[in-house]
Amino acid sequence: MTAPPTITLTVNGRTLECRRVPDDERLLDTLRWRLGLKGTKEGCRTGDCGACTVLVDGESVLSCLALTHTVEGSSLVTVEGIAAEPLGKAVVAAFQAEGAVQCGYCTPGFVVALTGLLKERGPKASREEILAALSGNLCRCTGYSPIIRATERLLEKHR
Amino acid sequence: MPFSLSTPKDPAEAFRLLVAGRPGETALLAGGTALLRDLDEGQNHATHLISLRKLPWNRHAWKGEALEIGSTEPLRTLENDPLVRARLPGLHQAIEAVGSVALRHRATLGGNLGRASPASDLIPVLLALEALVNLRSPRGQRVVDIEQFIISSRQTAREPDELIESVSIPRALPSAYVWQRVRPSNDISQVGVAVALGPPPGRWRVALGGVSPRPVRLPEAEEALVSRRPSEAEVELAAQAAARHAPFVTDRRATEGYRRRLVTTLVRRAVRSTAEHRARRAGPKGGR
Ligand SMILES: Cc1cc2nc3c(=O)[nH]c(=O)nc-3n(C[C@H](O)[C@H](O)[C@H](O)COP(=O)(O)OP(=O)(O)OC[C@H]3O[C@@H](n4cnc5c(N)ncnc54)[C@H](O)[C@@H]3O)c2cc1C
Ligand code: FES
Ligand code: FES
Repeated sequence: MTAPPTITLTVNGRTLECRRVPDDERLLDTLRWRLGLKGTKEGCRTGDCGACTVLVDGESVLSCLALTHTVEGSSLVTVEGIAAEPLGKAVVAAFQAEGAVQCGYCTPGFVVALTGLLKERGPKASREEILAALSGNLCRCTGYSPIIRATERLLEKHR
Repeated sequence: MPFSLSTPKDPAEAFRLLVAGRPGETALLAGGTALLRDLDEGQNHATHLISLRKLPWNRHAWKGEALEIGSTEPLRTLENDPLVRARLPGLHQAIEAVGSVALRHRATLGGNLGRASPASDLIPVLLALEALVNLRSPRGQRVVDIEQFIISSRQTAREPDELIESVSIPRALPSAYVWQRVRPSNDISQVGVAVALGPPPGRWRVALGGVSPRPVRLPEAEEALVSRRPSEAEVELAAQAAARHAPFVTDRRATEGYRRRLVTTLVRRAVRSTAEHRARRAGPKGGR
């Protein structure tokens, strides 16, 4: 086995060196336990719930199913850094305005996934496509209605 | 179980690593969306992973109407190519069915085929489109028909020293993939039906997923469809043939009986959607 090396990651705009990262470390654990960024949640660890979603080079990724070594050199955005971009800031504001948060456990995943989608598709994307794409994220509290309203509010603003 | 990871920079290095380990000890890592879960759940006992992410296979290319898909191309990149949607609607619909957007940013076609799940959403459409699997090893290149490549549940014709390099889809065809499952994202289809039309004109191909032990073509349903714009009666015969002949079983996702009822609806939808796609592409003078 090769000695676990140092890897470079840019997280929320800061370039960091992570030392002695074991080969089998998941990105989710690097963020939460190594870097202390506990906004990213672990809901299932099996790819089913979307609570662990982060942006890797602008694209949404399930951090529970990604080895940290496979994102080496990438630029990551977690929920802690999402409001630094105008689109992320608008998503957060829409969630607040519509009361789309109850316990909040799913919220970081939704906010990051929705920001990623709007970046990928442009704010003129169809309501149907965006809502279908959000079905990769689970919420146990809100019944989804306020999350859907927050999404619609965002899309309307850009019509 | 802890594991180690290597990231070869070219295929030659990947082959060296692949043959260096004992069988079962080594596994290939593409997007990791299936493998990491299998390792967690004890379905795979590899202690050394070989990451394919630096190999030059994360691309896809059109040669006329033929599409070659590199094995490590993320599914989301294919989905975002407007030509895939326009020329191979069945493939596009099948890709959209896999997991979620965040999953598809990493999941690959090579990984889907490497795992060969009987519930795969991509294998049925590749069967209907008569795709070819391009395998590479230090011994050279080998092309295997998708029909022969998939042997059984989680069993493929890949030799231990081979990698899936790419998948070729010989031609753009009117096609469709429709599925049923409990949850739209991140769930496994109870039944998936893929349909493709031509060549020659009027020849239909029907393939099913959610069957046991592997996705299959269904000649009985194909033979019931004899025209490019099949009549209600033809579609009904095909739907009933699928219900009668498909190798469905009962598992935790659905009973055999439910699957037999479900498949009739899905076959009707898939055939209609394909015929409509053909009519749109052919234009007003499309003929019968
Ligand atoms: C929550 C969740 C939902 C899912 N939903 C679906 C779904 O709806 N439909 C569906 O079909 N699948 C689904 N899957 C399964 C999986 O995500 C897909 O099969 C995906 O395409 C696998 O690709 P990957 O690149 O992540 O494979 P990996 O996990 O990297 O690899 C899978 C297997 O293939 C082998 N392999 C990978 N690349 C190659 C290669 N180039 N040559 C030879 N062997 C190779 C690996 O060794 C491994 O055994 C789901 C998985 C999860 C976790
Ligand atoms: S924790 Fe990653 S998808 Fe649930
Ligand atoms: S607010 Fe509690 S899980 Fe969504």
